[in-house]
Amino acid sequence: MKKLLSLVAGLGLLLGTSALAADTVKIGLMGPMTGAWASEGQEMKQVVELLADELNQKGGLLGKQVAVISEDDAGDPRQASLAANRLATQGIVGVIGTYGSSITEATQNIYDEAGIIQVANGSTAIRLSEKGLANFFRTCPRDDEQGKVATATISKLGHKKIAILHDNTSYAKGLAEEAQANLKGLNIPVVFFDALTPGERDYNTILTKMKAAGPDFVFFTGYYPEAGLLLRQKKEMGWDVPFMGGDAVNNPELVKIAGAAATEGFLFLTPPLPKDLDTPEAKSFVAAFEKKFGSAPKSIYPVLAGDGFRVLAEAIKGANSVEPAKVSAFMKTALKDFPGLTGKISFNDKGDRIGEVYRVYQVNNQGDFVLQP
Amino acid sequence: MEQFFQQLTNGLAVGGIYALIALGYTMVYGVLKLINFAHGDLFTIGAYLGLTLLTSLALTDHVGGFLGIGVLALMVMGLVGIIGILLERIAYRPLRESPRLSAVVSALGASIFFQNAIMLVYGAKFYVYPQDLLPKSPVFIFGMPVPLMRILILVASVVMMISLYLFVQKTRIGTAIRAAAIDQGAARLMGIDVNRVIMIVFCIGPALGGVAGMMVGIYYGQINFTMGWNYGLKAFTAAILGGIGNIPGAMVGGLLLGVIEALGAAYISMAWKDAIAFVVLILILIVRPTGLLGERVAEKI
Repeated sequence: MKKLLSLVAGLGLLLGTSALAADTVKIGLMGPMTGAWASEGQEMKQVVELLADELNQKGGLLGKQVAVISEDDAGDPRQASLAANRLATQGIVGVIGTYGSSITEATQNIYDEAGIIQVANGSTAIRLSEKGLANFFRTCPRDDEQGKVATATISKLGHKKIAILHDNTSYAKGLAEEAQANLKGLNIPVVFFDALTPGERDYNTILTKMKAAGPDFVFFTGYYPEAGLLLRQKKEMGWDVPFMGGDAVNNPELVKIAGAAATEGFLFLTPPLPKDLDTPEAKSFVAAFEKKFGSAPKSIYPVLAGDGFRVLAEAIKGANSVEPAKVSAFMKTALKDFPGLTGKISFNDKGDRIGEVYRVYQVNNQGDFVLQP
Repeated sequence: MEQFFQQLTNGLAVGGIYALIALGYTMVYGVLKLINFAHGDLFTIGAYLGLTLLTSLALTDHVGGFLGIGVLALMVMGLVGIIGILLERIAYRPLRESPRLSAVVSALGASIFFQNAIMLVYGAKFYVYPQDLLPKSPVFIFGMPVPLMRILILVASVVMMISLYLFVQKTRIGTAIRAAAIDQGAARLMGIDVNRVIMIVFCIGPALGGVAGMMVGIYYGQINFTMGWNYGLKAFTAAILGGIGNIPGAMVGGLLLGVIEALGAAYISMAWKDAIAFVVLILILIVRPTGLLGERVAEKI
């Protein structure tokens, strides 16, 4: 009898949830809420939930409310595949995220097999969109784009002996190899090319070895925790070679880790920072975010996640359907020059964002990030 | 040649920290035959407590850098020592008579608990120690500039290791610890309060780990809640390399691991640094399965 009762209760629950499902449009969010990139993931959640609230106040989508279902990928491929499997069973139209390329890569096939749209916000590795997955999109640019901007910047500055350092993640290695190939094409010699182990504290060994190769410019393609330590330890060594970073160093924590004195003059490539976004959409969004959370978003990737959400919402509206195939087709063909928070958004056949997104920034002696003309 | 010595000091600085953390693993293993996987997280707690005390008490402003940091280090040691004792009471003592695997699972659980507790209390972002605590000027050794902090860390590590060694070898409590390490039952029959010995071990080990965390914070500046995992793993390796359960072994293992890493990265390949270190570990364990100093004082602490 007890068994029967619990069976009935269980069925009731099931029916209950599926009845609820019909009333909302569900959109997933997968981000690193814990782990080393937790500050990015937690802000992604704030951004997307803020935008969802705004959308719901305006009446939601297709006459229904939008529900955001968040899962934590912990910045770890194994956790991410578990998170993706959980999300895939919840009837979502699409998922926003995630930040790291290697993390996104671990989940692409899961979403593809479930027929769910994925809009990555920080995963710039080239091969992610070269797999022919129909439902994969990204609001961030690709590494080859960044590699081109990096090489152009280096050759414009006139440096002759370049050291390239990555951290063996899909993203950093891809960007490093791209830059190396481009520099070779321009006959600028790369005197040092190697990887560090992320998550450590002491990079003196690497700096000592790199210094022995005698570069006049260093391009580090990894993330801000390591970049901060490298700059700090480089300063302590008394080595004043100019450093440039890729877009993963774009986080104010970098200056806190290294100290303003060690970061002065540091260059990096990135999509524009939230404070430098000049579209009306971006300004009202940053104002709303400040009102709710007390400060502007610290990093651009959560804002790109917000763009992912807005694009997906626009496409659901435009396709007048929650069927992923139709929404995806709309995003590739009908959606052109959508006014995103980070500029105009269109996608090509591969799901990559079209258009120039990267800018060059330099850190000044106050530790502020200044957009270079 | 200059690069070689530079890399050697790089390796010794990292190795000194490994050694200090490895002492905690080795002491606990010596007495309980338990790998305390939460040790790396106690190290992290030390780093966070150090920062909290440093910024809230502003001791270094009143009594100067060196004295202030010395006092703070003692406070961190005390606090992390207490956490270590609580950890043993709550997570390990109830499992003392259970199969060894239960305690290992409990240790892993404690590790996950600590890591997430730190994240929830302090937040997921990186924390940064103040930069100007101690003079930055380098000291010249054979005409080679070596940062003062690096020498201080190495000296502090060695002093703590030697005092621990003397404590275990020369004092009554130390003798009791060694007796409990050899045979808990026999030690109890000889009138040694084994529970108290275990409590002391769980105070000293975490205290050393905690102060290592604070030293890492002061030297490298940046701390976050996941830092204990990496250091814990390396220190555990160092303890095995030197012969787990053996205090001089942990010191030798730690310094050696740091130097192997630095030289391997400098002269073979940087990306293969960890692989090289572990290959060396495997080779040493094939030749000496009990670690470098494991046999000389077999099964003892």
